[in-house]
Amino acid sequence: MTPEMLYALRDPAGVPSHPALFLVLGVLTFALHIAAVQVTLGAGTLTLGGAFSADAHWRRLAAAMLTTAKIGVSVAIVLGVAPLLFVQVIYDPFWYTSNVLSAWWVIGFIVLLTAGYIALYAFYWKNPELAHTGGRSSVRLVLSLGFFLAVGFIVHGLTYQMLFPEQWMAWYAPQGQVDPSGRTLHAWHAARFAFFIALAAPVTGAWLYGYRRYLQGAGETDGAYLAFVQALAQRLMTAGGVVVLAIGTLWMLTLPAKMAWFAGSAAMWLALAALLAVVALPLALRDRLDRGYWGYVVFGAGALALIVVGAAREALRYGTLLATHGYDPLDYRVQLDGYSTVLFFATFAVLGGVTLGYLLTVAWQAGQHRGEGPYTPSAAVARLGQWAVGLLVIWTLAYFGVGLWVWAR
Amino acid sequence: MDIIGLYPTWFEPGVGSGWIVGFIATLHVLFSHTSVGAAIFFAWLANHAYRHNQPQYLEFIRRYGLFLLVFSYVLGSITGPGIWYSTTVASPRGISALIHSFVWMWATEWVFFVIEVAGVYMLVYLVGRVDVRTHTRIALIFGLASYTTMLIIVGILSFMMWPGKADWAQTGGVLHAFYGGNTFAHLAMRTAFMFAITAVVGGIVAARFEDAVLKRRIARTLAVMGIVATLAGAALLQWYLATLPETASVVLDNRLPEHFPTALAVAVGATLVYFVLTYVQPRALVSSVAAVMTVVILVLGLWPEEVARESLRKPWVAGQYVYSNQVIGADVPAIGVRSEIPALEAHGFLKVHPFIPTELRTVSDDNRVQVGRLLALTACANCHSLSATGMRPLQRYFGPGHSEREIATYLQAALAGGNTLYMPQIPLNDTEARALAAYIRTLLPAAPTQTAHATPQE
Repeated sequence: MTPEMLYALRDPAGVPSHPALFLVLGVLTFALHIAAVQVTLGAGTLTLGGAFSADAHWRRLAAAMLTTAKIGVSVAIVLGVAPLLFVQVIYDPFWYTSNVLSAWWVIGFIVLLTAGYIALYAFYWKNPELAHTGGRSSVRLVLSLGFFLAVGFIVHGLTYQMLFPEQWMAWYAPQGQVDPSGRTLHAWHAARFAFFIALAAPVTGAWLYGYRRYLQGAGETDGAYLAFVQALAQRLMTAGGVVVLAIGTLWMLTLPAKMAWFAGSAAMWLALAALLAVVALPLALRDRLDRGYWGYVVFGAGALALIVVGAAREALRYGTLLATHGYDPLDYRVQLDGYSTVLFFATFAVLGGVTLGYLLTVAWQAGQHRGEGPYTPSAAVARLGQWAVGLLVIWTLAYFGVGLWVWAR
Repeated sequence: MDIIGLYPTWFEPGVGSGWIVGFIATLHVLFSHTSVGAAIFFAWLANHAYRHNQPQYLEFIRRYGLFLLVFSYVLGSITGPGIWYSTTVASPRGISALIHSFVWMWATEWVFFVIEVAGVYMLVYLVGRVDVRTHTRIALIFGLASYTTMLIIVGILSFMMWPGKADWAQTGGVLHAFYGGNTFAHLAMRTAFMFAITAVVGGIVAARFEDAVLKRRIARTLAVMGIVATLAGAALLQWYLATLPETASVVLDNRLPEHFPTALAVAVGATLVYFVLTYVQPRALVSSVAAVMTVVILVLGLWPEEVARESLRKPWVAGQYVYSNQVIGADVPAIGVRSEIPALEAHGFLKVHPFIPTELRTVSDDNRVQVGRLLALTACANCHSLSATGMRPLQRYFGPGHSEREIATYLQAALAGGNTLYMPQIPLNDTEARALAAYIRTLLPAAPTQTAHATPQE
């Protein structure tokens, strides 16, 4: 594919804001999505490891992690919609071609994700009292995790194929014979995929630190369980960190020639430094982990580190496509649409911020509630809820108001 | 020379890529409409339960909510992106046109999705753990956020059929693309049917209640909601049809399968009978019957509706400027989009398509059928199966007695000018028309095999 061909594949309608916005939002939302994916995979694996254990601590942890995994899949899916949207905006020639060339895998993604999610619920239905009775039907959980890994691998392959426009014609028409079946996943990089999967270990370790602090805040009296969780969390972070480092090194050593520049680049070192800093954070915080919000800070720092990793991943894509294929997503023609641009950012920052702020505060405080009877939010939190409802009503009225005005003109 | 941005083609010989998209989309409509309808219903029911001191309704919310978590939020949240994924591989430029015009609208919808997911978990898991006012407020937030997702997607879906304002091609802008009479009629119709679907699916859960009094109350509440919604939906369907472009009306009258109106009438009629029955005799509400009714709505209501909507917008797939075969067939000066038909007329597909193998860019006697197959994949396969099965198989449009020249003449006469209802303008030059004709002949039952080496004199 020549640069001329790649540019021709761009949507002629242009993009409604500066392409840098989509690039940045793509990185940020990818980081949030992959964090949810990694927590889900880590929680699912801990469930598998703990559900069938004779140790009561492990079984209790398994029950909590099963709930985490169930919700984690939902969160991962809904957060994954955003980077899926943004990648199509500025990398459309690459994303669409890669998908079409492996179309059955794309359809398979939907089927396997559904199967994995249902298998996870099937395991839950079979084990409503996991902490007390122990687990049954491990095959359901194994299948679920297997399907989730397969889904991850498919998305990895689709994303990786984007980086090889020089191969597209050979994949579409091997020896000049057009094959429109979409049956083949043409390219993948095992070490790159393994790196992002292995990150689940330290990320889940960071998550467990937050879980432990949450239990403390809710008045947890089983000190032995808290110690068990802390030890496991640190083990996941340090041992997992070492594994991630090893796999990451292997990834860098096996980069294709046109991407070799990335090994040793500033982006790579920054990502490495961010990950190491997070792994070292609990060791630096020590007793402070039990005070204030420090126990939650580890996961927050982990999320920030994932943003740095996501940015490095984007640098690899951007740099490779620009240097080797002459494609710069940042020179996408802007066909400014002020209304929808403002609508999104206002909705995201104001309505989204207030409403999610309210919901998450209530969810968290209700979980920490120790008093008699149901939780009642403070006046300030309740006011936030009133604002949330008010903003949703205003948004809906504005939708109809603007719409009817446009229609009537 | 101009290169136009056509992608490779995915061809699925069994049922066709279009039906795979349709299958996923139809399922998603069932899941998502149930979800949004239930969210609004929950908001009302929670308020009602607290105001009239009827906490038993909260048990319905909890149970239906748990059911919804799987039915709508597991399956619905996957089939939603699933539509994106499947249209990406079946119609990349169609979805691209929508993405590039409406990316911020979709991103806005995403904000509401996130709120919705947080809301549904809290609504279900915090029953009894938070005070009444807070739980009611969460229900309200969940209901409002869910409905806003419908508000947004309906505007985008309506654009696929017909830009909101007729002058959008000259004015551009999301507002003129998004809002119009069709948008509001579409929204009103979907909203009504959404409540009807919610009432049917809710019956699956309500049927399991052992408390006869509670079951009767909820069954009747659902039945009333269902009857009103079904009747309103049937009336609003007429409004929706009145807002369609003229071409869609012609297609509606001439091209849809004859059984579609009957199927829709049966779906509406059966739904009404079902609701009346469960109102008069709530004991008749059993999970299996409610599940069967859900399938009836899916097969006889949603499937024809989705297929009809897909057909009515033909030959366009998005905004009346992207043809179903991915070629941009009309100018949209306001956003700088130019029709690709002139480039195709001047140079042909083989010269301007980036995904043509070098050896197939020039037609010879040796590669004519192969080139024809590639042209069929490019210009026809989105809507016409190249196999004997699937969507509108190409071979059914020609008889075994048709010669290569006759077929080529027909292709050029019927398609080159863009005057055939329902079909895109496909400007095939003589060479390409003959290649495509040669390939089509290989599909016909009695086609002689030597067409691969056909000569102009044949």
